[in-house]
Amino acid sequence: MKKEQQSLSPVEKIKVASNGLRGTLRESLQDDITGAIREDDQSLVKFHGMYQQDDRDRREERSAKKLEWLYSFMIRLRLPGGFLTPEQWVGLHHIAGEHSTGTIKITTRQTVQLHGILKRSVKPTIKAFNTLQLDSIAACGDVNRNVMCTAHPAASPVHEQVFAFAGKISTLGLPKTRAYYEIWLDEEQLSEKTEEDPLYQDRYLPRKFKIAIAIPPNNDVDVLTNDIGLIAIVENGKLAGFNIAAGGGLSTTHGNPATYARLATVLGFADTEEKILKTIYEILTTQRDFGNRSDRKQARLKYTIDRMGVDAFKKEVERRCGFELEEAKPFVFTQRRDDYGWKKNHAGKWYYTVFVENGRVLDSEQVALKTALLQVALSGKANFRFTGNQNVILGDIAESDKPAIQSILEEFGIIAHTANAGALRKSAIACVAFNTCSLALAEAQRYLPSLISRIEPMLDKYGIGEEEISLRMTGCSNGCGRSPAAEIGFVGTGYGQYNLHIGGDRYGLRLNTKYRESINEAQILETLDELFGVYVKEKTKGQTFGDFARQKWIDTAAK
Amino acid sequence: MLKEPKLKTLLELVQSSTPEELIWINGYLSGIVANAARKERMTGAAAMTAKKITLVYGTETGNAKRLATQLAAAGKKKGIAIKLSGLDQYRLTDLEKEEYFFVVVSTQGEGEPPVTAKKFYDHIHQQELSLSRMKYSVLALGDSSYPFFCKTGEDVDVRLRALGAAPFIPSQKCDVDYEADAEAWFEELLDRLQQEDAAAGEKPAKATGAKAPVREKKLYEGKILANINLNDRGSAKETWHIEIAADEPVEYLPGDALGVVPVNRKEVVDRILSLTRANGKDEVATARATAPLSVLLAQHLNICYLPAAIVKQYAAIANQQIPDIRMDLEDLLRIYPLADKEQFTDVVKLLTPIAPRLYSISSSPVAHGDSEVHITVSRNSFLAEDEQRFGLCSEFLGDKPAGSVLNFYIHKNKNFRLPDDGSQDVIMIGPGTGIAPFRSFLSERNANGSDGRNWLFFGEQHFVTDFLYQTEIQEYVQTGVLTRLSLAFSRDQEEKIYVQHRMRQQAAAFFEWLEDGAALYVCGAKEPMGRDVEEALLAIIQQQGRKTAEEAQQYIEELQNEGRYHKDVY
Ligand code: SRM
Ligand SMILES: Cc1cc2nc3c(=O)[nH]c(=O)nc-3n(C[C@H](O)[C@H](O)[C@H](O)COP(=O)(O)OP(=O)(O)OC[C@H]3O[C@@H](n4cnc5c(N)ncnc54)[C@H](O)[C@@H]3O)c2cc1C
Ligand SMILES: Cc1cc2nc3c(=O)[nH]c(=O)nc-3n(C[C@H](O)[C@H](O)[C@H](O)COP(=O)(O)O)c2cc1C
Ligand code: SF4
Repeated sequence: MKKEQQSLSPVEKIKVASNGLRGTLRESLQDDITGAIREDDQSLVKFHGMYQQDDRDRREERSAKKLEWLYSFMIRLRLPGGFLTPEQWVGLHHIAGEHSTGTIKITTRQTVQLHGILKRSVKPTIKAFNTLQLDSIAACGDVNRNVMCTAHPAASPVHEQVFAFAGKISTLGLPKTRAYYEIWLDEEQLSEKTEEDPLYQDRYLPRKFKIAIAIPPNNDVDVLTNDIGLIAIVENGKLAGFNIAAGGGLSTTHGNPATYARLATVLGFADTEEKILKTIYEILTTQRDFGNRSDRKQARLKYTIDRMGVDAFKKEVERRCGFELEEAKPFVFTQRRDDYGWKKNHAGKWYYTVFVENGRVLDSEQVALKTALLQVALSGKANFRFTGNQNVILGDIAESDKPAIQSILEEFGIIAHTANAGALRKSAIACVAFNTCSLALAEAQRYLPSLISRIEPMLDKYGIGEEEISLRMTGCSNGCGRSPAAEIGFVGTGYGQYNLHIGGDRYGLRLNTKYRESINEAQILETLDELFGVYVKEKTKGQTFGDFARQKWIDTAAK
Repeated sequence: MLKEPKLKTLLELVQSSTPEELIWINGYLSGIVANAARKERMTGAAAMTAKKITLVYGTETGNAKRLATQLAAAGKKKGIAIKLSGLDQYRLTDLEKEEYFFVVVSTQGEGEPPVTAKKFYDHIHQQELSLSRMKYSVLALGDSSYPFFCKTGEDVDVRLRALGAAPFIPSQKCDVDYEADAEAWFEELLDRLQQEDAAAGEKPAKATGAKAPVREKKLYEGKILANINLNDRGSAKETWHIEIAADEPVEYLPGDALGVVPVNRKEVVDRILSLTRANGKDEVATARATAPLSVLLAQHLNICYLPAAIVKQYAAIANQQIPDIRMDLEDLLRIYPLADKEQFTDVVKLLTPIAPRLYSISSSPVAHGDSEVHITVSRNSFLAEDEQRFGLCSEFLGDKPAGSVLNFYIHKNKNFRLPDDGSQDVIMIGPGTGIAPFRSFLSERNANGSDGRNWLFFGEQHFVTDFLYQTEIQEYVQTGVLTRLSLAFSRDQEEKIYVQHRMRQQAAAFFEWLEDGAALYVCGAKEPMGRDVEEALLAIIQQQGRKTAEEAQQYIEELQNEGRYHKDVY
């Protein structure tokens, strides 16, 4: 016990000492000498849905001016299943304009982030969100994060029912502390005592925890990359239950061979809501009790499961549940990217999926996306549904309202913008990286668009411009843009340098493998030209680039 | 003998008085008569006590006050009672009654009296007074690098004489190193007062100002090491942190300022030459220099914001009606063109030299090395002729790249010194560029290990872009050099917050520090900061010390007398 205590990672000590995630956040907010918060509080503020960041483009210049780095905060909302009413979007739009950089960033986990919020604006921002019934509790930190769910209601008649699960799971995983309300919303502290939290206790989880729900055949949430993946099983048009998978996670650390990306292992099937929620709960408690708390690079559930062994892990969970999981049901995924444009669901409602490159909603020179979405929201005729591919679906539109939405989308060029973007571009994801992400080694969302513009002519040259090859780029090996689960993955290693990974499948069932190390743009283009050349010549009919690459370059190399 | 109405008054007084009162009046009057007679007869030191000697001072930065106080003290030692008064306190109605009247006064602005002397200055110039009883002398403080050297002292000297006063000893002009000249004047003054006999007044004093003791100021040649705009992108301000290295030790102390004479903008000089069709190569001789016209206009003569007096003379030369305002030469030439080159040569001869500008030094010799000085220069901007324009010297400095040469001198500021005792607490109020001397103070106190507490008040528009020297200040907070830091960023919230609000918010602690003996320093813009801070100070003293307004005022004066309240506002 004592030894273990000593080897606890610093974050573990901060959590336990935090008095229910309060720490010295109040004091930190009052330090008017700095735009930053105290070091320990930087770990705690994540649990409240925020990261302290700084504008990395400006570091040197600010230092020369004897100014501290340009600190600000990124706020990530908790939006189970990624849903906003039009009123909430209007509010979000204005909050972004008033307190942040103005850009609304749709994330790979179906929520939105605002960047560049100064310390003194954090409270006003959270208060404003609160008036819209929105919060950022547990959007980050060593807790269950935003729960994802297949976004498109046309995916299945049971979509609404499945979507409701996302909210229930999110509620299940909320910490019990009132700290958020006290610190940011000025709620009175009722008792001196820290709240009891049977799930998280005072130590929370050893590491972040992610849950997603997919409705086959659509895997837009990349379900197996999550700590817990639920796969909805529909039988005779009814929701029969969920396959439950555990142990997904994508991050690796360059030069640390003990780290690896892993897809979740399907453990079994559960039918009733009670059983499903109970299983999730006990997977959380098992991770809480068995996860590694001394090395954060070994703390995710994927390592816990591999250390215990899948069977032992499953047994422990079942022991805690008091029931056994049934055998998993078969399922297939045939799609991962979004269905752009108009689509109708079983109930006759209309949906328009807007292409939002890398999830950045702003008015650019090419297209006034932010204004267009505001107009749509102001009409009150469409809900906003974010996808795990960083896009937004304008949804639940009545037949009679469709023309009004269509005309707004036409007026602002959204229809053309979405239709005209190339297939590769519309199948791509990039993480945030520079200038806000403190962990970025290379550019991602600011760079990928131009790289794609250089790759597109090459695809056209080989006549594969229409292929929906999944290409993902991340500024480091944490994999926020899920680059390990793509047919072509770029992982930043240094400024302007990327590892090239190939051989992943198109639908999120097989990870890719590193093929080239730390190459620059010229080398990237040269290599891809070569690979595509061979691919068009030798591929079998209908064979995706990822499957071909696996066979041609990865498996043979491994032999 | 007595005429109406005096006779009437006397009769009324006599009739209305009791017998006892009449006896008292009788005694009183004979006393006066005896005294007057004695005075006539008396000579030498014995007369001193009876003389009515008044010494007044007009000061902006405190030099004149310090000198006047020294003089009064020296007089006292010699048994000469001198009544000392600041000109802002002086009762102007007493003037005609003065017998010995000595003035120590500096010159400010562009040949203007210090604010504290303005009322006096205007009074003597506007009123036709009769000062025939007065014997006077003026000690004029100034700086020979300004075009109107010791102008105020000179004006006072001329005017007092014109109003009938007689020079007692010659008035004296002093340059920045005024000590020796001031002492010589003291000695002569006190000697003459002691030896004074009835005949003294007959010796006509020398004409004043015939020769000013223009002692050369020590000029340094510096090289710009770094010139950084401290404000971040998006700020409304530009504040340059300029580091200058000389090739020899620079003699200065924290609190001193650096003096620079800027050079006129080349494009303005070119436009002036083309407006007047003058040839830049033509040699022109003026009072201060003879040089080609283009050189004169660029380096020697002030062409910016000409004083109204010069504009008036320009109007005479141009033979045009020009309102009584100040203006740039270029604007004058454009709006009221001259007839020919000859007129322009006459105008050039009117022009005065370019005045030096002062910048509080923001480095400390102990911390930054004795041959390096830093200054903190705010870009001065204003509206003129409906356009945004920039101050001459601040822009001149801001434009200086690293590696370029800058000539400068040191302007001593004896009234803005750290306490000798390093353990004395210090409160520093320095918003905007007012931070400059406090950066010097803090570096100095840090480097020499002073253990007194330090409390800094700083303010600017925005936290993110305008927090001057933020990282250095943070270090001082972290290492404990700064005990307290109070920040006021005026435009980061709806209501404006300034340093004086922070003072009021922390009134109790502020007063406690003062009661504990802290020295208080204020630096920065005179208006409105200087005034607002003083108001806040008064309010704090009243409220925390439970004092009346008058007592609070007294408290401040005591602080001043104890050398615990220093202002350097500009
Ligand atoms: C916004 C987002 C990327 C995007 O462009 O959409 C993102 C952005 C960041 N991620 Fe992530 N992650 C995002 C999805 C992911 C995913 C993908 C997913 O969950 O589907 C992964 C890989 C899956 C996984 O967790 O294994 C991911 C794995 C990480 C990691 C590595 C975790 C690990 O196991 O080691 C970190 C670093 C860490 O936690 O130490 C990280 C850390 C970060 C931080 C907060 C950087 C930091 O810790 O200082 C990034 C903030 C950048 C910025 O300026 O906004 N992010 N992050 C995604 C937000 C999702 C959300 O709404 O919650
Ligand atoms: C003791 C002392 C210390 C100082 N310390 C500092 C310091 O640390 N940092 C600092 O930045 N400053 C400091 N100053 C102020 C500094 O000396 C200068 O006064 C300031 O930089 C402005 O000078 P300038 O040549 O740039 O502007 P100038 O050209 O002299 O113009 C000054 C002002 O004159 C008026 N003006 C000029 N031309 C016109 C026109 N054509 N029409 C209408 N109005 C006009 C404007 O109001 C303008 O703002 C200090 C001053 C003193 C006395
Ligand atoms: C802003 C400023 C303007 C000045 N202008 C003049 C001037 O026009 N003529 C002059 O002779 N001295 C000028 N001086 C120099 C002062 O008169 C000199 O510093 C004097 O010692 C100040 O005395 P005081 O502290 O009593 O005011 C100026 C000084 C300052 C700071
Ligand atoms: S992948 Fe790396 S660079 Fe990109 S957002 Fe995540 S942590 Fe930042």
